[in-house]
Amino acid sequence: MTDTAIEADALAKRFGRLGRATWALRDCSFRLPAGRVCAVVGPNGAGKSTLLALAAGLTAPTGGTVTVLGTTPGAARARVGFVAQDKPLYPQLSIAETLRMGADLNPGHWDAAAAQRVVAGGDLDPKKRIRSLSGGQRTRVALALALGKRPELLLMDEPMADLDPLARHELMGVLMAQAAEHGTTIVMSSHVVAELEDSCDHLLLIGEGRVRLAGEIDELLEGHARVSAPAQSDLSPHTVIESRTTGRQVSALVRPVGTLRADWQGGTPSLEELVLSYLRNPEAPALTPAKSEEFSA
Amino acid sequence: MSAALTAPTRVHLTRWVVRLHRPALYLWTALILALAAALLWLAGPLADAAAEAWQRYNACADMGPCAYDQDAILRYKDYYEYATYAVLAVPFLVAAWSGASLIGREVENGTARLAWTQGLSPVRWLATKLALPALLVTVGTGALVALHRHAWVAGDGRIDTAKSWSDFATFYASGPVVVALALTGLVAGALIGLRRASSFGALGGGLCVTAFLWFGIHLLIPHLWSTVTKVTPMAHNVGPSGNGISVTQGVITATGARIADAHCTADTTAQCQAYYADLDAVSWFNDYHPAAHYWPLQWIATGILLAVTALLTVVTFRGLRRRTTTPEGAAV
Repeated sequence: MTDTAIEADALAKRFGRLGRATWALRDCSFRLPAGRVCAVVGPNGAGKSTLLALAAGLTAPTGGTVTVLGTTPGAARARVGFVAQDKPLYPQLSIAETLRMGADLNPGHWDAAAAQRVVAGGDLDPKKRIRSLSGGQRTRVALALALGKRPELLLMDEPMADLDPLARHELMGVLMAQAAEHGTTIVMSSHVVAELEDSCDHLLLIGEGRVRLAGEIDELLEGHARVSAPAQSDLSPHTVIESRTTGRQVSALVRPVGTLRADWQGGTPSLEELVLSYLRNPEAPALTPAKSEEFSA
Repeated sequence: MSAALTAPTRVHLTRWVVRLHRPALYLWTALILALAAALLWLAGPLADAAAEAWQRYNACADMGPCAYDQDAILRYKDYYEYATYAVLAVPFLVAAWSGASLIGREVENGTARLAWTQGLSPVRWLATKLALPALLVTVGTGALVALHRHAWVAGDGRIDTAKSWSDFATFYASGPVVVALALTGLVAGALIGLRRASSFGALGGGLCVTAFLWFGIHLLIPHLWSTVTKVTPMAHNVGPSGNGISVTQGVITATGARIADAHCTADTTAQCQAYYADLDAVSWFNDYHPAAHYWPLQWIATGILLAVTALLTVVTFRGLRRRTTTPEGAAV
């Protein structure tokens, strides 16, 4: 057992051939401790899906390394669950057959009861074919298949996008119970920050193929401050992520170095504010574990 | 750890490959059974009726009009052709299905990724997906060519209009070359299905690769075994003789030199005689494969195609492994 769920070192993935190649992920380094519920956040096309596919052993990196549960993604396959963004399932199978297939393809660690509980929560007839299900119902079956595997690490790409608020709430509850009961590390990507704030304790913010922020959400929030100061104030030596001058006031989001001046009004930003500030300002310096250690040193 | 949940058992992928491709399995079985029945019918009642009609015709050929069953002769000829082309279509059918349905659709719909994130490696997945169809294709196509050969033998020497062994459609439909081509089609379809994200593109690609390889082996076959040369004196004035697959024909001059492809294109015999006299030709020659070369040619061509199939299989598996495994990831 390792205490690290995912560790990426200078991970890079390029698509396409020379000349027309685009980097989906570039120089991506972070460490996700085991047992966390991690949100992978970023705009569309930021590289979230690529990162999850690399960790799931579905695609090989162009450069760098990724270690999953202490080994290669390929070797960790049996211990990792994956739910792809479009929730692919075999349309010709029934729900019951899909779960039986899960049992046959995951010998030794299939939890039939857990899988059935997820399906039963949606009041679905097990005899129903996958092709006749709605998007939300398919998501439920895909989650059942992934949870039935009893994974140590569960990777989910936009898992909740198709679900109505009730189902979203219920399935998030199922996931959190799984994480609490079995110590499962959960990694889910989303571009809706609000839906992750309550359930996630770790954040990985990706923008333009690079890691912009990585760490425990509490620590990240505490490491930043919202300040309101007179327009001419010198904000240095604090690292300014974003600043906006309105009239005689400048409002900014900063990474304080030392203590902030007492006459500046401030507060802790919300997760959404933090994320948006970083996304709006691609030039703002990234904050990843390696760098935060430098800071504390 | 979680391994203690239930006793470890084996991965059961085979039954799911069968379940997911059940319609194709039924269709394949029906196709093989229908074609086999047609070939047996051709070899039995149809060949017998045509042979009898020819016997009657030949018996009374010199004695003016006679009664014989012309329809039986034509029926054998037509059905023989249909059955031959049906057997020749099998490699294309397999390639199209492999590219479009077996692999292409799984990659296109993302279900391949679903399978690759279960408790088995992508390589294992592909191996099972190919092994089972390969077995069924070998058995089914093998049975068809054996029955086609049986139907051809039933007509050979008894039916005057029966095709020669060297007729190319007959040559391919009644030998192992077509079985090897079906396997090549299976692997070619899978290779392209994994590389292209659209099942329609993989369908076309699988067909093209199969057609290309068939064309290639067709050009190669006459040169796979040393030919027999038959020399006919020019005096007979009948052209080169020797029945089979001809490789080079021409004339031999008085000095012993061979001139290939020396075909007279003139209209009259006198002009042709002058043409050959001009060349100083004394005899015809024909480098060809007689009927005795049938099996050596078949087996060598089959061997080459199986080698190509093996190569395509290695490329397919290496491509999948490279695509899904990290460079350091020796463990799969």
